[in-house]
Amino acid sequence: MVVETHLRHAATVLLEAAIRIAPPDTRDWGQAMRGELYHIEGAWPAVMWALGGAGVLAKQALASFLIPGRRGIVPDGGLFTKNTSLRKAALVTGAGFALAALLFFAAPPFRQAFRVAMRPWYILFERTSTDLQRDFGTLAKRAAARHDPQGLAFCAVRLYDPRESARLAGEAVRLDPSLLWVYAVVSMRHPELPEVDHWVGELERRDPQNGLLHLIRAESIDRAHFRHLVWTRPTREQDQAWQTAMAAAFQSPKFDDYLDRVAELNRRVVPSYGFYDPYEVVDRARLELPYYAFENSERYAKSLLHSGADLEARGDRKAARGKYWAVARFGQVIDSQARTAIEHWAGTSLQSMAYTQLQTSYENQGDRAQGELFGYLATKFHPVTGEHPKMAEEPAFGLSISSRNAAVVESSALMILVFGLLALVAASILIVDSRRGARPATQRAKPVATMVVLTSAVGLLFSSVTLYLTYRPYWYIFQGAIENGGRSQTRDLSIFLASTPAPLLLSPRGWLDALLYSGSPSFLFYFWASLTLLGLIGIGLVLLRHFRDRARTKRVSA
Amino acid sequence: MKAPRISRETLLVLARFVDRPGDWRYGYDLSRDTGLKSGTLYPILIRLEKYALLEARWETTENGVPPRHTYRLTPTGLELAQVKLAESRVDWLQQPLKQGV
Repeated sequence: MVVETHLRHAATVLLEAAIRIAPPDTRDWGQAMRGELYHIEGAWPAVMWALGGAGVLAKQALASFLIPGRRGIVPDGGLFTKNTSLRKAALVTGAGFALAALLFFAAPPFRQAFRVAMRPWYILFERTSTDLQRDFGTLAKRAAARHDPQGLAFCAVRLYDPRESARLAGEAVRLDPSLLWVYAVVSMRHPELPEVDHWVGELERRDPQNGLLHLIRAESIDRAHFRHLVWTRPTREQDQAWQTAMAAAFQSPKFDDYLDRVAELNRRVVPSYGFYDPYEVVDRARLELPYYAFENSERYAKSLLHSGADLEARGDRKAARGKYWAVARFGQVIDSQARTAIEHWAGTSLQSMAYTQLQTSYENQGDRAQGELFGYLATKFHPVTGEHPKMAEEPAFGLSISSRNAAVVESSALMILVFGLLALVAASILIVDSRRGARPATQRAKPVATMVVLTSAVGLLFSSVTLYLTYRPYWYIFQGAIENGGRSQTRDLSIFLASTPAPLLLSPRGWLDALLYSGSPSFLFYFWASLTLLGLIGIGLVLLRHFRDRARTKRVSA
Repeated sequence: MKAPRISRETLLVLARFVDRPGDWRYGYDLSRDTGLKSGTLYPILIRLEKYALLEARWETTENGVPPRHTYRLTPTGLELAQVKLAESRVDWLQQPLKQGV
């Protein structure tokens, strides 16, 4: 009884609220519905009555909002044409929203956001890594046609194919010898190339103090006995050559990975060719110092530290500390000029290893103060737990925010496609039906199609605004990197790009993550994707019912 | 020019008025007789009233019960309804859509 009273009260409140928002000329009808409410048997039927009435009044309120001069519910097109003007208003509004959404495509940030969001889906259609780099092939051809060394160099430093990369680098340097540094970047990426030895020789003449060149040479030597996935023991000569190269690297006063020059190249080439692809331009994971350089450095550092420990055991403390300091100094060189996370890691790691050894050395000597100092430094420079100041490239937004933004951007782009498709299908139904003339089944389909057009257009606009606003900060980061070579927040963009979830079909892990961790960014993406799928199934069922009713009406008429 | 279309629901409402031409009818009674929900019934009533095919009046009540709106077809409305119903040969018009509000 109490529940029934509450339900009736809720029904009354609902209708009265609807009467308040209704246009003045329909309020009387609202009162009429309100008057009947008292006589309806049962609380739930009363609620349903109120819902229906409130729907009518809300529709009138919307209609008078869309068409301010409109009076009442009476259509302009005749007595029995149901709500023609309202339908027209809905279609005009829907078209307006759809147009507004389409206008977003005129904005470069939006176009880029859409491309970025669609990128993971390309994987479905691209079979090989070469397919993924088709754009570079096209760009390289354009650059060759223009005899543009910078365009060729831009492609050379990015291509996966070592031979093509070497060919373009050679062509770029031939056209512009000042681009010799391109050889270093190509060599870093493809140390197995036979040209590397010759290139490094040329580079050493131009940039003799750069430790990077020695690291590349060392890796090239290392690769010589690891060919076709078969490892062969290095010869004494090879080992000696590797040791010499690493010793030279550790004595170098400078470390330059040439990424500044790559950034400069980007600034010139990207606007010139309209190659606004943040994946390729800002995601420098493939351009930065490869992991092997760190491995080689660590291997050589350990051998120096061991050798120092042996010397110390034999009583030659001075020579031992010289070796420890060689490691620490090279760590300092890399760290002081580090531009990437891996360089920072390598620099601090080497320093920490050396300071730990120096701490032990001084403690064994009984010099407690020095031991404590190096202990402090070893802790401070520890690459994981250390207090070494953070690099300028540390993400400002943070991992979780960028990951979440990536999920929002991808979901929004998906919604744009779905809503666009729905609006298109519904509009086509309306156009086809208006040409076929009036049929009863058609008349019933029209309100549904009109509603689909309106809601899809609203969804389209909402998704477009969300996509634009969410991606906008990353667009500014990208522009800053291109126009000014700015590195601030490029880590945020990299995290954002790396976080765009893989397509559903290709990522069973993504499904699992989404199921197990509702807080994960992929949850958001999979949630919306599932909701969209359910929506599509629902629309499919509605259409099925519509065509079945149509067929039935035809049979009855016949 | 296309002929005006009459929805099945409008014909159902007209048919109920034609059954008892002079009687004043309540909205809830019409809803029960035709099986139309309030969201469908009232727009039809409003349209008929605007075209002077239907007349409406308030019926006062006592003891704090809100007044009720009652309806019946005008002579013009009755004439038009009879013509339109005669034109319609669909048998199922005689049956309510379904029970409910």
